[in-house]
Amino acid sequence: MIGGVARRSIVRGGLIGGVAAIYVALVGLYTKFADLELVGEQVTLGRVLIVAPALVAAYAVTRPRIVAGERRPVAFGPGVAAGAQTGAVTGAAFAAAVWFAYWFGIDRIREIFVSVTEPLIEFLTFGQGVPAGLPLLVGASVVGGAVGGFARTAPARVRDPVSIGVVAVLLLGLLQRIVPIVFVELGFEARWLYRSGSGLTLLGAALIFVVAAGASVAWDRGGERARDRVRKTVETAPAARLGLLVGILATLFVLPLLFGSVISEVLSQVMVYVLLGIGLNIVVGYAGLLDLGYVAFFAFGAYSTAVLTGAFLNTTTGAAEPALSADLNFYVAVWLVALLAAGVGLLIGAPVLRLRGDYLAIVTLGLGEIVSVITASRWAQPLIGGPQGMRGVTKAQIGGFNPQDHPQQFYYLALAFVLLALFVSWRLASSRIGRAWNAMREDEQVADAMGISIIKFKLLAFAMGGAIGSLGGALFAVNLGSLTPASFEILVSITALAVVILGGLGSLPGVVVGALVLIGLPGLLREFEEYRLLIYGGALVAIMVLRPQGLIPNVRRSRELEQEEVTQDAWAKEVTGEAEAIAAVVPGGTLGVEPEDLE
Amino acid sequence: MRHDGHLLELTGIGKHFGGLYALSGLDLYADEGEIVSVIGPNGAGKSTMFNVVTGLYPPDDGDVRFRGESIVGLAPNRITRLGISRTFQTVHLFPNMTILENAMVGQHCRSRSGVFGSVVRLPSTRREEERIRARARESLGFFGSRLAGYREEQPAFALSYANRRRLEMARALATDPVLILLDEPTAGMNPRETLELRDHIVRMRDDLGLTVLVIEHDMRVVKGVSDRVVALDYGRKIAEGTYEEVASDPQVIEAYLGTQAAG
Amino acid sequence: MGTVTEEQVRGAQLGRLERLPWRRVILIVLSVLIVSIVTIGAYKTLTLPADARYSAAAWRDFIVLGLAQGSIYALIALGYTLVYGILRMINFAHGEVFMFGAFAAFFFSDAFEASGFLDSNSVSSMAILLVVAMLTSMGVAVLLERIAYRPLRNAPRLVPLITAIGASLFLQNTARGFFGAQSKGFGVPTALEGTWTIFGLTLERTQVVVFVTVIIAVAGLSLFIARTTTGKSMRAVAADSEIASLMGIHVDRVIVTTFAIGGLLAGVAAVLFSITFQSVNFSMGFRPGIAAFTAAVLGGIGSISGAALGGITIGLMQSLGPALILTGYNVPSPFQLKDAFTFLVLVLVLIFRPGGLLGSGEAEKV
Repeated sequence: MIGGVARRSIVRGGLIGGVAAIYVALVGLYTKFADLELVGEQVTLGRVLIVAPALVAAYAVTRPRIVAGERRPVAFGPGVAAGAQTGAVTGAAFAAAVWFAYWFGIDRIREIFVSVTEPLIEFLTFGQGVPAGLPLLVGASVVGGAVGGFARTAPARVRDPVSIGVVAVLLLGLLQRIVPIVFVELGFEARWLYRSGSGLTLLGAALIFVVAAGASVAWDRGGERARDRVRKTVETAPAARLGLLVGILATLFVLPLLFGSVISEVLSQVMVYVLLGIGLNIVVGYAGLLDLGYVAFFAFGAYSTAVLTGAFLNTTTGAAEPALSADLNFYVAVWLVALLAAGVGLLIGAPVLRLRGDYLAIVTLGLGEIVSVITASRWAQPLIGGPQGMRGVTKAQIGGFNPQDHPQQFYYLALAFVLLALFVSWRLASSRIGRAWNAMREDEQVADAMGISIIKFKLLAFAMGGAIGSLGGALFAVNLGSLTPASFEILVSITALAVVILGGLGSLPGVVVGALVLIGLPGLLREFEEYRLLIYGGALVAIMVLRPQGLIPNVRRSRELEQEEVTQDAWAKEVTGEAEAIAAVVPGGTLGVEPEDLE
Repeated sequence: MRHDGHLLELTGIGKHFGGLYALSGLDLYADEGEIVSVIGPNGAGKSTMFNVVTGLYPPDDGDVRFRGESIVGLAPNRITRLGISRTFQTVHLFPNMTILENAMVGQHCRSRSGVFGSVVRLPSTRREEERIRARARESLGFFGSRLAGYREEQPAFALSYANRRRLEMARALATDPVLILLDEPTAGMNPRETLELRDHIVRMRDDLGLTVLVIEHDMRVVKGVSDRVVALDYGRKIAEGTYEEVASDPQVIEAYLGTQAAG
Repeated sequence: MGTVTEEQVRGAQLGRLERLPWRRVILIVLSVLIVSIVTIGAYKTLTLPADARYSAAAWRDFIVLGLAQGSIYALIALGYTLVYGILRMINFAHGEVFMFGAFAAFFFSDAFEASGFLDSNSVSSMAILLVVAMLTSMGVAVLLERIAYRPLRNAPRLVPLITAIGASLFLQNTARGFFGAQSKGFGVPTALEGTWTIFGLTLERTQVVVFVTVIIAVAGLSLFIARTTTGKSMRAVAADSEIASLMGIHVDRVIVTTFAIGGLLAGVAAVLFSITFQSVNFSMGFRPGIAAFTAAVLGGIGSISGAALGGITIGLMQSLGPALILTGYNVPSPFQLKDAFTFLVLVLVLIFRPGGLLGSGEAEKV
């Protein structure tokens, strides 16, 4: 035991950290980010990633344990020591792997793992090569581990400001593309804060740290009563809420002016996914119908917008007219598209009314894939261009407002749609319809018994979700001006789902945050583009295991997602195992039948 | 609505699951303003009968008529709208919705606002919401102050067991039923709560004008509320009449004691 | 508090129209539609003018190809069905389990090819490839269970499904990061190039290997499940895990074993797939994974024979479907749509017979 942490735990945690570090190396993250400077010249993202596994491992190892029913946190000093030890194990494992790679032959390993290169080894040994640099590697891990232990066990009034300060520095370092631009657009100098084209200056980093840490201290020091008062004013006084709303809206309007066109471009992409997220949130979050084929609505929205606004098919010989075509103005066409998409929603919803859970997910996945395959097929070519797609989506210009040529103007168009969708969604959620969806989601058979027409409300969810999703597709078509089937694959469905889940099922602010994180961040940080999907996948798994209610939970849903299936399908467990036998033959599910009835 | 005959009438109802016959040849009726208790040992098919009536699954044989019209094959929500409501043997609330919301769900079938009205908050929609809220509060108020006041905003999972049962009943009452089916409403309650509930059941008939069909095991309750008692065993009716008649029926005694002695 | 009004009751009374069993009507119409589309398409294909028609040899090739592919799907499908039977969850990431096995086999095969071992000792090298793939796939499957699924054993159904999707994404892109985004050519030993003629039928040698291997694998699995103690434990846990644990069965261990066996089978499938299509790629697990899952559902998920049968059916459908039905309608490049075909079959099966073709016509408890 070292300060309350068992040696076995340290070793195990350390080894897992080592494996994680090796994974990061093999998957190429070090190679990619070795040169991304965050602060000054020395603190690169790559170096942060070197200490990260040890830090996280130590953080986990020094967690409070429950011993004999009592929650025992680890003390500070011993905690840091244990953390350092964990870091040592991590570093040793990692260094051993590096040494092994060097000994075995880097070129030979690269035949399998393409990221194992000479520069990688250089980087991991801090330029000193093997074996001279290995102790440095171990040392870095020890430091990382110690920091991890610190982060866990330090007294709160020290730990909180420091952690927040560090996070703020790292975050602003990562945002090195945006923040300087904002400064410049506002007319301020940024060179004292950011080195040009690179990360934070040392001065800047120090300043950010102090400000963030100070803010944290002030917030804590402010005392609970003050915080509660602020919170309560915001939540209850209508004037305050209106003010907050106006403030948020004003910020949203002003953003593109602050950010310039490149970032407006990214924000527009975010907006498209916010729309998709809002629509999917209705289907999955409100009505509880797991739809894995949402790309169908997106594709429908995009292609029907193209067709209705007179776009052309791309052919090998130039442009051609599609079999069906109209020349409507975008602002007219888009409502027609939404209406038709609602119809498509009914078509998709009708066959799946009786299905639940996994089956529903798979069928909707299948339907989405059918749409994907068809849009890319030669069969559909006369209508929507097949593998070569369409181009020339136009007619979105009104007077001087031309969103297709100006990213900032497009942002406003997208914002308008998003606000509309948010409003509709919000109103529905707090209405009789939202109540019906909630009831249906919590217990479908009982909701049915209480007079809610399940068929009608499932169809309604699909229709509304489809209509809103199609708006996303329409915007997408207008933004790009041309469409190719590659944009309409299952990835869209999964990304939309990730946005909703990460943000919090059933939570509208969550959708916005989810889109910002999952679409905005990779969009702004170009280097992450390659690892976007890896991060999506990892984030989904992590969120589900650690915090299934998402980043901004819908309070009601949090409990649903965390509880065991006690109250939801629990009646089956209340009854004995006969439930299974009954279920095999009872069509309505086992709700109505108790085993006593069958005796 | 004038009609001749019983409010609810089951004729020749049969229901089997695989090889197990839960109900067979069951005849049962209930007239307006009656409280009918359904008793019988475990496994007699009482809950199955409720499920058939409320449309959870259709009977294999026989017919169920409500106000003279057959309701076999209708979806449960349709049957609720016709005026039949129920509670469940094991409580099935919407655990993460508040108490008031649970009750408001009951009023769903008596309201009509659609998507447009809900989004735009038409005056008619707002009025309807207010009405729904008021009716829900009325239903909750049927049980006194337990489910009312500040309690309304609490999530349903936070309730005590007895209060959960009461909420489920309040929710069923909120559907403005004509006939209410209570499935072992006093199960798990202590004697005081049981007697209180017995009085509530009587008030459902007297104050609210409901017809009540109750599955019960607690004979004090059966004795105290019933206009008529029906005894089931092995899915068929074995006795019918007043409490005294049924309680002294030799077949009924054998069904209970016989099962007990064997078990 | 009054009772419902007369008007409200009348509103809820039924018109004649509403008494129609809508669901049955729609199902009947749909089935008629499907049957007619299929028969008309088939008829048209078979009566095309002689030069546009498929020859008998072509049909035979389609069938053999379908059977070969189908058997591979069957192996993968067994993994899905075993896990679903025990945990009632769809292991969305099973396709990636398959993919990693293929990569492991590839690296060895590449080395063998370079050194000439592949051609000189075909049988041993194939055996080694199989073992390597099986072990790798098994490892990935077990890791998956331990890290992503075990913590969520008791969570509401939505959660493990989403986790599985995330795991699938994560594993795919891990492979991409590890091995690069390009497809790699999988070498086949010269002994397996070309054809054999058996009972008058000329088959690709790789296809023969596929058939033989799959038959052995499925037979082996069935025997294992039926006869061994572990197999019995697996069946017990699939029937009721609570009671099984009360009987002294170590449920966690059985679950790990199930994942491991699924992984083993996927590894075998990986090698067979690789020698058939001769290429590996980080995303190679997705479509076969879905096809295999469709097969498992088609045959009745939870049933081993169902998975095997389903696999063969899906394979045949993928090769015969577009050829037989779509060609008749003059659909250009019908084989592009073969995946859409598979998904359509999946959707229809789940709508009409959620219990699968071999099932009872009703869904299992979901």
